[in-house]
Amino acid sequence: MDKKENQKILSVKDLSVSYHKLRVLFDASIEVDTGEVVVVVGRNGAGKTTLFRTISGFLKKDGGSILFKGEDIGGLWAYEVALRGLKYIQQDKHVFADLTVKENLELSSYATKDYKWDGVLDHFPQLKTLMDRKGGNLSGGEKQMLLVAMALLGKPTLVLMDEPTEGLAPHVINEMKDSIKRIRSETTLMIIEQNLPLTAEVADRVYAMKEGKIVAEIRDKEEIRELKFEKFL
Amino acid sequence: MNLLKRISGPFILVFLIIVARYLFPNKMTFIVEIITFSIYIMGNDILYGYMGMVSFGQPFYLGVGAYAAALYLAHIGHDPLIAVGLALIAGVLVAIILGPAYIRLRGDYFALINAATCAIGLFLVEKPLLKITRGDDGLWFRSRMASELFFDLRQPAQFFWFAVIILTIVLLLYRWLDRSVLGASFRGIKVNEGKMKFLGYNTFMIRWIGYTLSCILAALAGSMYAINFGFVNPSITEPARAAEVLVATLLGGAGTVYGAFFGTVAFLGIKDLVSAFFTRWEFAVGIITILVCFFFSKGVWGFLSELFKKKGKDLSMGRPS
Repeated sequence: MDKKENQKILSVKDLSVSYHKLRVLFDASIEVDTGEVVVVVGRNGAGKTTLFRTISGFLKKDGGSILFKGEDIGGLWAYEVALRGLKYIQQDKHVFADLTVKENLELSSYATKDYKWDGVLDHFPQLKTLMDRKGGNLSGGEKQMLLVAMALLGKPTLVLMDEPTEGLAPHVINEMKDSIKRIRSETTLMIIEQNLPLTAEVADRVYAMKEGKIVAEIRDKEEIRELKFEKFL
Repeated sequence: MNLLKRISGPFILVFLIIVARYLFPNKMTFIVEIITFSIYIMGNDILYGYMGMVSFGQPFYLGVGAYAAALYLAHIGHDPLIAVGLALIAGVLVAIILGPAYIRLRGDYFALINAATCAIGLFLVEKPLLKITRGDDGLWFRSRMASELFFDLRQPAQFFWFAVIILTIVLLLYRWLDRSVLGASFRGIKVNEGKMKFLGYNTFMIRWIGYTLSCILAALAGSMYAINFGFVNPSITEPARAAEVLVATLLGGAGTVYGAFFGTVAFLGIKDLVSAFFTRWEFAVGIITILVCFFFSKGVWGFLSELFKKKGKDLSMGRPS
């Protein structure tokens, strides 16, 4: 095994997925190396969320393989995938609305047996002042921070984030961008993002998707900064 | 001190029951019925109040416990405590056998498959099992019941104390469940099951545990009914009685520790009070349920808690807000 193989944390090969008889993902192949920030871009309906939901065990695949840290996780349930250190933060930004921020974090701690919040809260200091606020009373940005904080408990090795900046105010997007830069020192990130300037700033690798297929992989930092992937969308 | 505060609620409630028993000695049967029915409602509250799973078949699970106890006492043995133990085992067995299939269903399907199970249960005790259940004639076994070492459960006054002990244990466990990880998981599933999976919870197992606990409590209540009356007939598993359970849960305040008890008091109280004046007490229950749905969605317990909170008094009985 060469050095690159050792670094590989996720390897998806020829993944295909259908909703009933309608094929929505066609032989998608992606790779993620340890410590990378990989961004998946594409228009609505391109299959990005389907790809993430399948990797994280929320959808069953028709064919292909999903190797996470060398283990085939293609047939596992979503909770089993999460417990192996692959967390998926959905697009909906739903936290447990009736529970306080503290209780939301506790619920995550119970599952992962990780009760040390200091490291996580250092990434999101705002949450320290919101501990007793109900999840339902948080702003969109605060909910997103809470979701990321919940995902980071248990020290996951890979976090999938589905459009983390969608619907957020520009200054909150900037905060989220800074958070992503801080988090990447602790975990590998795979992000679906429509915000191209943000993608250009944080991504080490970009996959472009169109009509259920991976149509481009860009690893050159210069090309990413110049938004060369835009032409594939 | 903290522990004392945590367990004070169940003890206050039980103390009030004991006071009521001496204040209204001629209402002891009614008070025992409240105790038994509230345990049954707690079982339904785990499903509906905590996990958001509506079941139209709770009388079936009540009947499982009642018939397990009754069949033992009518045909095999004499010890009421063994009958209660067998009822609990029957509840667990039903949950193990039916649970994996039933809890895969959601919403309407879960509600209706339970209704269907209840109808099948009624048919089984009325027809194929007629020889051992004696069908509509029912099983009579009071004279076969033996006295325990410290209790004689054939005596209503002594059954009252037995029921009080059982209720205390159930309330303490229920109180613990409410503040435990398991209780939080139940609520998490109700709000957003997908998010629970994202956190790494095995939601299938959690729902199965909740269903099992519900079956156990219903079976326990069923066995208490059987022993208290010394008689069981198929009417206990009537599918039409499923609505009673949901109404009482709603009246009390779903998903709260004490809601099941207050819902039972409200439901049986209205039934007792109204039926003294006119026979169709269901009419009054129906009207009150509609009012609760529109104006007091948190039920009696939720209403009382908020009322006292506004007046600066804490009714949480140790439960953090």
